[in-house]
Amino acid sequence: MTSPSDRFAELTRLVEAHTVTRVTPPLLLPAAPYFELAGEEFGRNLLLTTTNNGVELCLRPDFTLPIAQSFLADGRAGTPSAYTYLGPIFRQLDAQPVEAQQAGLELLAQPDPELAIDQVLNFIRRVLTIYDIGAIRVRVGGVGLFEAFLEASGVPAAWRGRIRHRFGHPEALARLMERLARPDPGGSAPIPEDRETVVEIVTEAMIAGGLALVGSRTPDEIADRYIEKQALSAAPVPPDVVRLLETYLAIAAPAADAFDQIEALASEHGFSMQPALSRARAHLNALSALAPASDVIFDAGFSPRLDYYTGIVFELLGHDGSILASGGEYDRMLERLGAKAPISACGCAVWVERLERERTR
Amino acid sequence: MTPEGLTLAVPSKGRLEELTRKAFAEAGLTIARPGGERSYIGSMKSQPHVTVRFYPAAEIARELIAGTIDLGVTGADLIYESSETGPDHVVFARGLGFGEADVIVAVPDAWIDVRTMSDLADVASDFRARHGRWLRVATKYVNLTRHHFARAGIAEYRIVESAGATEAAPASGSADLIVDITTTGSTLTANQLRILDDGLILKSEANLIVSRAAAWTPARKAQLDAFLSIVGGVAPGLSTTL
Repeated sequence: MTSPSDRFAELTRLVEAHTVTRVTPPLLLPAAPYFELAGEEFGRNLLLTTTNNGVELCLRPDFTLPIAQSFLADGRAGTPSAYTYLGPIFRQLDAQPVEAQQAGLELLAQPDPELAIDQVLNFIRRVLTIYDIGAIRVRVGGVGLFEAFLEASGVPAAWRGRIRHRFGHPEALARLMERLARPDPGGSAPIPEDRETVVEIVTEAMIAGGLALVGSRTPDEIADRYIEKQALSAAPVPPDVVRLLETYLAIAAPAADAFDQIEALASEHGFSMQPALSRARAHLNALSALAPASDVIFDAGFSPRLDYYTGIVFELLGHDGSILASGGEYDRMLERLGAKAPISACGCAVWVERLERERTR
Repeated sequence: MTPEGLTLAVPSKGRLEELTRKAFAEAGLTIARPGGERSYIGSMKSQPHVTVRFYPAAEIARELIAGTIDLGVTGADLIYESSETGPDHVVFARGLGFGEADVIVAVPDAWIDVRTMSDLADVASDFRARHGRWLRVATKYVNLTRHHFARAGIAEYRIVESAGATEAAPASGSADLIVDITTTGSTLTANQLRILDDGLILKSEANLIVSRAAAWTPARKAQLDAFLSIVGGVAPGLSTTL
């Protein structure tokens, strides 16, 4: 192999292997599903256009969503499927348009999720072989591990959702931790009335403001959260649990060490992180193969800012710090798109031009 | 863009035009608009090399960022809103002391449990599970809203673009909360909306703004410095930062 087009041809053969189905969703896609799935934060990166009757379309910003949508539309919800893709994606970053070639693999409804994640990692390894490079750094995070940790470590249930929701956003999480450590002085006001009275006060305020009592937040919902908030500031998270959380989130080390640290932390505090921890450990070899010359770093606080990720997440970095490939498990995604029950899903995307650049560095 | 001489854009109508012309007149720079309301070009008698153009305020922000005009008077909020990188393309030479407006996040007053952006993050996180749709924010400040919400760690919401009467959106049911400008807060109060404790996104006022993107030759830089020194309140030698 000598030229970029040779490598591209080789990559094309990989995505057209007989064990997988190569799919090519349209370049022009409805924008609404992206906003529905990922919200404004991802939506700001779409390159949008509008039809004369006001329908918003976007240039294909990724392959995962249209692939998952046609998987469901074709009624394959229960059928193990392996899709690959290779083609251009379009986004905007800092108001500049970006066109890039992406290749990737999507494994949906696989019976053995452990095998599936190793197949995804193996796919990336084969891509790296085509480009004759290894990643400079592999960064791994554990969404499933963090959820297991929250569950096991004695964080009050009412706080868990709030903490989980900020996972992957270091600033927001740090602010919340501060709030946990130092209870809100304004929040310690006594609960003035019983729930019924609070509901009444809210209902009156809504009517006074001309708000409908249905369709948006309801008086019950507001009253419940108000009372819950009072209760939470009256009963803050114990300081040792806050410290434990901080210790966990600060873990960032070569993966084998990091997993040992987590295990030690758990046993020191009298709880277990199994089976989530052995699940993560089981993929260490496949992860290490992606970066033969460097360590796989497990970063306990690392997660994409999309709440449909569930298990292991990872990204491969090149010399200039750019992401060469990323992926993980997202078992909640298909449900978000309308599946009746959770369907296991994992996959990855690799950035072709970045692999080329890394090679010729 | 003239090879020599400066183009100054000022708001074309309303109170902003009036106050802008008054501010320049106080510095001895009277703007003539020979064709009146309908004309889009004017001049300054004492500054023959300055061409005055009358534009809508939002257009002034866009043209400053693009560099097709050299200086302009418009609201800082419009520069921040025009493009995510808008502020990088201009220099705010001087606040003019009028057109004050705060860009703020406001929720229905009935949301007694929501006082901060952090509360809003909690509400946003399970809003879709409860109501089958995203939390909706009505605003015409799309960029500012996205930026502010991203900083607060809020991803689970949708923007509903609002052309006017944003404050009515929660009552009309088209959105749950708003991001809007306010000067006195009275419109918000009248609509039973309350600004979050940390809901101030931007304190804005009318500014004299210099475009970084314009073609600045040494001669034009000299003209700019001379002009700014007459306007007053501008640090000398601003053109060296262009």
